[in-house]
Amino acid sequence: MDVSSDISTLDSWIQHLSDCKQLPEQDVKKLCEKAKEVLMQESNVQPVRCPVTVCGDIHGQFHDLVELFKIGGNAPDTNYLFMGDYVDRGYYSVETVTLLVAMKVRYKDRITILRGNHESRQITQVYGFYDECMRKYGNTEVWKCFTDLFDYLPLTALIENQIFCLHGGLSPSVDTLDQIRTLDRIQEVPHEGPMCDLLWSDPDDRMGWGISPRGAGYTFGQDISEAFNNTNGLTLIARAHQLVMEGYNWSQDKNVVTIFSAPNYCYRCGNQAAIMELDEHMKYTFLPFDPAPRRGEPHVTRRTPDYFL
Amino acid sequence: MMNPEMSENSLYPIAVLLDELKHDDLALRLNAIRRLSTIAQALGPERTRNELIPFLDEAAEDEDEILLAIAEELGNFVDNVGGPEYATVLLHPLGNLASVEETVVREKAVASLNHIGTVLSPAQLESDFIPLLKRLHSAEWFTNRASAAGLFAVAYARVNPALQAEMRQAYGQLCQDPTPMVRRVAAARLSEFVRQLQPEFLIEAAVPYFNCLSVDDQDSVRLLTVEPLVTISSALTTEQVGEFLLAAFRALAVDKSWRVRYMVADKFVELTRVMAPHVAKEEVVAMFVSFLKDGEAEVRTIICSQIPGFCELVGREDVLEKIYPHLKELVSDPAQPVRSAFATHVSGLAPLFEKEATHQYLLPLFLRLLKDDFSEVRLNIISRLDKVNAVIGIELLSDQLLPAIMELAEDKQWRVRLAIIEYIPLLAKQLGVAFFDEQLTHLCMSWLGDRVFSIREAATRNLKNLTDVFGAEWAKGTIIPKILGLANHPNYLYRMTTIFALTTIVPSVTPEVIRASILPAIESLVTDDIPNIRFNVAKSIEALAPVLQRDPELRPLVPAQIVPALTTLTQDPDQDVRYYAQRALQTVQNPVS
Repeated sequence: MDVSSDISTLDSWIQHLSDCKQLPEQDVKKLCEKAKEVLMQESNVQPVRCPVTVCGDIHGQFHDLVELFKIGGNAPDTNYLFMGDYVDRGYYSVETVTLLVAMKVRYKDRITILRGNHESRQITQVYGFYDECMRKYGNTEVWKCFTDLFDYLPLTALIENQIFCLHGGLSPSVDTLDQIRTLDRIQEVPHEGPMCDLLWSDPDDRMGWGISPRGAGYTFGQDISEAFNNTNGLTLIARAHQLVMEGYNWSQDKNVVTIFSAPNYCYRCGNQAAIMELDEHMKYTFLPFDPAPRRGEPHVTRRTPDYFL
Repeated sequence: MMNPEMSENSLYPIAVLLDELKHDDLALRLNAIRRLSTIAQALGPERTRNELIPFLDEAAEDEDEILLAIAEELGNFVDNVGGPEYATVLLHPLGNLASVEETVVREKAVASLNHIGTVLSPAQLESDFIPLLKRLHSAEWFTNRASAAGLFAVAYARVNPALQAEMRQAYGQLCQDPTPMVRRVAAARLSEFVRQLQPEFLIEAAVPYFNCLSVDDQDSVRLLTVEPLVTISSALTTEQVGEFLLAAFRALAVDKSWRVRYMVADKFVELTRVMAPHVAKEEVVAMFVSFLKDGEAEVRTIICSQIPGFCELVGREDVLEKIYPHLKELVSDPAQPVRSAFATHVSGLAPLFEKEATHQYLLPLFLRLLKDDFSEVRLNIISRLDKVNAVIGIELLSDQLLPAIMELAEDKQWRVRLAIIEYIPLLAKQLGVAFFDEQLTHLCMSWLGDRVFSIREAATRNLKNLTDVFGAEWAKGTIIPKILGLANHPNYLYRMTTIFALTTIVPSVTPEVIRASILPAIESLVTDDIPNIRFNVAKSIEALAPVLQRDPELRPLVPAQIVPALTTLTQDPDQDVRYYAQRALQTVQNPVS
């Protein structure tokens, strides 16, 4: 394959996607094939070097992803690690996930994308990505293409052997990172077991393991995260998965931090979003941000409705 | 009966279409409709008229989405059926679509009918279009009559006087239709119909239509009469306006429904102009003030857009005496959208107020708005300060506003900071070097270290603009040393800012500065630990190359320094560094002349 023409194709796709325009179905298929090759090489615990900027849920809020890049800097100048949940809920899941995957393929050493619990066939059929693909492409091909690709996304990442990043949280069946490394991840997210837990679990104020109200994964207490960090020589678990009003939230005596990067989640929650910048000395800075202004939209919600009657 | 010409090939497209039009999958059906024009071209005009159009006529039982697509496609079908002389075959299917339940389908069908109406001859209008109009107009179900209201204007001017008389009467009936939806369309379409009426019928027809609709018991009908009021008033003589329309204007302005008042407020300047000869200034001023004090925030918001225009009509003396006291109140309006709209439009008063009054009356308002809790309010006032600047001059402005600006330069909303940055070059031009250095240079440099990337980026552009204003010497002494200092920042994102800033200002500085300061700084980053810095060095050199090649003094540096630096980078362990270095090397070695 001709590398330079590949790069210029990818560059033109990224350019196109940056205007929130979807790619033609054929190009999405090509992109997913390339992405599969790239992601196949990555580990279940993908090593990541600092400096890197760590981001949480995006959920199809394309314009807020653009805002995120305005705050954090453009790829590839800034390195990024995204912790899953690119699709569902927002109106632009297709454009969002295509852009992130295209960036991953183009700059594989600059960008890491992990799997979230929404990167799954089952969940996307309920929360919007499936319907959006149908609406925008008129068939299920693009949805199939992406959900097949999602099976290849790494489950977790490890920054400089110190910060463990994943979408959800810990699992009672996992004590060491090596146990995660041995999982066979190329499959739909199962309903239970370690792979499911990593994408679904949440930290909790109660000690020990608890039953998750989500119906999948577990809740884990500070004793669990302390022990996990201790066993694996970690300083911190960075995860996403839960809405936090300031965009980031420390918990469990700073053993766990939650990062959420979808401002005004679902266009109604009124939360701030945040990203975590780690510099080359592992010094972290949280950058909170607000939703991108929607230019041209009315300031007043109660407009003169001309659709009345 | 098969035409001998119909080979299998010519049947194929229609066969596919028929298949797909009947397909269970909505998306496939929709696709087929979107290809109608192609299919019609394949079939030729005659078969399009004889086979395709009748087929579409029957398809009218489908999902709304399909019907909408058909309604839209048929509007552009005149050429496909053989030109205007055959265009009447389209009227029947579109007429059916104009009577369905779904409003968007009907509206699209009416739009397409209007489009076709313009190409029909007067004879075709009378023989086909008007009968369709009559059928819709006299139908029992309201959707037909609502669609009918949209078809008068296109036909009226080109039919015979007898039909015209019938049409005028028919429109009058629609204005009194028992269904509010129909009266609503009649109101919405009134302006375009009135424009077609001959002057002698304005009083006889247009005014009664309007008077009937403007006192409708539904506010959603009344609110649509504001625009026709403007249209009709502009067509009548001033005496006629006074006699026939003044009362309606007064009534609509104090309508009990805020949505009607909103519409009046939205057009208040225009309305004031047409009503002016008949209404005492005191009265329109009182109306305007009542909008400013309206109980509904939406009305107060929309009237803000009329402030500059209206005040200009009234004149400065009256504004200061009668309106300003109420304008002042809007600064502390409890509704944020009102303050936001006020901040957008209040600076438009500066040209009217002129220097002294702007200083005395408007500046205090600006200062209050600049301290508003909502960033949007602050932003709106800042981004329009240039208008004020033109009136009172920068000195007065900076005296009064500089403290507020300094405060906003550190606003926690980055878009407010951005607005300030964009305003800086203008300030620089007016303030001069000495004053600027004393007050603002430090601020400009601090933005280079902002936590938000877009601010750092804007800060680099700003430095280039400042260099253009103050000259290369100033840049060399004042800003370049500070930029170079950032090259040692412990965080890669800020070292990157150094590269961006240096690259951006290169076109504005002297070759000497490039050679002595900028190139060495960029080169020193070739060995940076972070790959992102190294490939940005390559990108920067690629951008600088043309500048270097053009200057005889600098040209020797290309083989001596640039090429070796890039060659080092092409051996980099990081693939992105290698890529950008390779690309830069190509640009440098093969300059496009």
